Amino acid sequence: MNHLSSETFRENAKAALADTHLRGALKNATSLFGERRKAAAASLPNWEELRTQARAIKDEVLWHLDQYLEEFVSSAEARGAQVHWARDAAEANSIIRTLATERKAHIVVKSKSMTTEETHLNDALEAAGVQVVETDLGEYIIQLAHEPPSHIIAPAIHKTRGQIGALFTAELGMPPTDDVDQLTSTARATLRDRFAAADLGISGVNFAIAETGTIVIVENEGNIRLTTSVPRIHIAVMGIEKVIPRLADLDVFLKLLPRSGTGQRLTTYQSFITGTKRSATDEGPDELHIVLLDNGRSRMLAHPVTRQSLACIRCGACLNACPVYQQVGGHAYGSVYPGPIGAVITPQLMGIEKTAQLPFASSLCGACREVCPVKIDIPRLLLHLRGEISPRKGSMAERLAFKLWALAMTSAALYKLSATAGRLLQRVVPVSRAWTNGRDLRPIESRSFHDLWSDE
Amino acid sequence: MDVICVQLSPGVFTTCGLMSNEARETILGSIRSHLAASVPFDRLEQHAIRPENSVILSNNSDLFELFKQSVESVDGHCVITTDVTDALKQIITDLRPRRIAISDRVHLEGIEAAVAPNAHDMFSFDVGISTAQAAIAETGTLVLDSASERHRLVSLVPPVHIAIISASKIVETLSEALALLQSEGEISPAVTFITGPSRTADIELTLAIGVHGPQELYVIVDQST
Repeated sequence: MNHLSSETFRENAKAALADTHLRGALKNATSLFGERRKAAAASLPNWEELRTQARAIKDEVLWHLDQYLEEFVSSAEARGAQVHWARDAAEANSIIRTLATERKAHIVVKSKSMTTEETHLNDALEAAGVQVVETDLGEYIIQLAHEPPSHIIAPAIHKTRGQIGALFTAELGMPPTDDVDQLTSTARATLRDRFAAADLGISGVNFAIAETGTIVIVENEGNIRLTTSVPRIHIAVMGIEKVIPRLADLDVFLKLLPRSGTGQRLTTYQSFITGTKRSATDEGPDELHIVLLDNGRSRMLAHPVTRQSLACIRCGACLNACPVYQQVGGHAYGSVYPGPIGAVITPQLMGIEKTAQLPFASSLCGACREVCPVKIDIPRLLLHLRGEISPRKGSMAERLAFKLWALAMTSAALYKLSATAGRLLQRVVPVSRAWTNGRDLRPIESRSFHDLWSDE
Repeated sequence: MDVICVQLSPGVFTTCGLMSNEARETILGSIRSHLAASVPFDRLEQHAIRPENSVILSNNSDLFELFKQSVESVDGHCVITTDVTDALKQIITDLRPRRIAISDRVHLEGIEAAVAPNAHDMFSFDVGISTAQAAIAETGTLVLDSASERHRLVSLVPPVHIAIISASKIVETLSEALALLQSEGEISPAVTFITGPSRTADIELTLAIGVHGPQELYVIVDQST
């Protein structure tokens, strides 16, 4: 199941559907996440209002993204942070690799960051001889298994405790067990040594506050706090869309994000990091580096429909709600960002050529739109992307069929004729298998509504 | 594409290389040109952030009680007391720790403890004791602020964290706590919100307490002031 390609989504999905372990794990996880999210949202009387506010704040930022970024950068630099701009993944990795090697870092501890998954930072650092240790429990598990994450907030959601026990026995030499507490405490003990020995910590960013230059990172485990406070140097990597105007705006986002992600009122820890330590006796890193990554994001601003995907706060709720994700899991998408939001973001970031199957990996049921805390109209975006793909990818037969359909629907006589013809032909001609393989096609009624109406 | 940073004095650096400036101009230029090429957003409705429809608390003891319930709902322990030293001694007697670390703001009588050990020593302590500068009743959250207290490691690395919070510093909502962070002008270099002990659900969404941070969190609400 490793490193699948988006180009083979259909085959990947078929293989995933045949994997009973995977489907059991997915069903368990997505339904639990879904129930918890629903209960958490219902506990706030103003949930809808919060969603509207969050989206309004995000839209305001995106419409003035250059100004808010400059404000954030000057606030952060004034407090001792060093900001690096990276046009693409290679540039971001090169900046971080140089920082690490110049400072002779041997061991890097990392907390979970989808942005560094996007840039494949670990490969770049390891190629330079730096040992990279993922410290989020889920990320640590998939790093040991040499797999990519399969969910935005629960990277090892596809694995059962039995599989993880076998992995820990093979990789860490622990006695075989599928006890979750034992597995967790083994990971804790192993990773504590790494934290104590680390020269450099790398984290992601959930929110960057323009007004104060603060980066805010949310978590439950405490590995982000260790990553950002034990090593001498902290590097935070963020997409340029992560900036929000004011500290007070966090009230809205800190209510929405944990409730949408895990169903918690607040995650266990929120770290607010503003610049470097002010004196030698302060705790925390000597150096704080913030890497701002574009990698296709600024280009997404041009289109009024698709740019709303930049409002995403990476909660993972749309994955849990999606009937396609629930069945095939994250790896089948073959992209860093899976699920409905992944099917929208990936073609925009990576180009539509190699990802053309992803916008079709949806039944357009709208469950993703219902749960999205920032009201991204994902089905509309999927349709828009399909529209961009179809003129190129649609088959001749399909285009001809739609042309004939349009003709028939605009003329009463042709419509009547085609309905009669359809009724007759349906008995003798098999309809497209691609449609009926997974669905029943009801026979056309022998008499139309129009006929019945005329009889009255 | 080398990035060369020159350290002038601790924490003060020159701009890092020329590439960064070029990248900055490219990215900002790309944002501006793509925004200019697009039609404006649908008319944005800016909603004023309204106070929440939370429970109206009639008095302070309700506020403390709500805080206690919230801490307990996330698997923390909470005592409300007028005698902090006594409460601390009881917790420590039960725990029987070998080594106790305290922050630079904690003053203990009759308990042996190391003050603010450094990052590498901290890993050998069993209990860390800090204060908290504020707390949020509706979520059971402690707010720790580096300008007042060096809290980051002592509240994180030892397997048990004990926090002492003055009852008068408890606010009801998240938005009140966020407003406090800027009440003296600038936000501190490191502010940490703590809600319960460290937890994970990364294996089959099964809750495990104490993955990287403390396995136990004790909160002592000091009502003596």
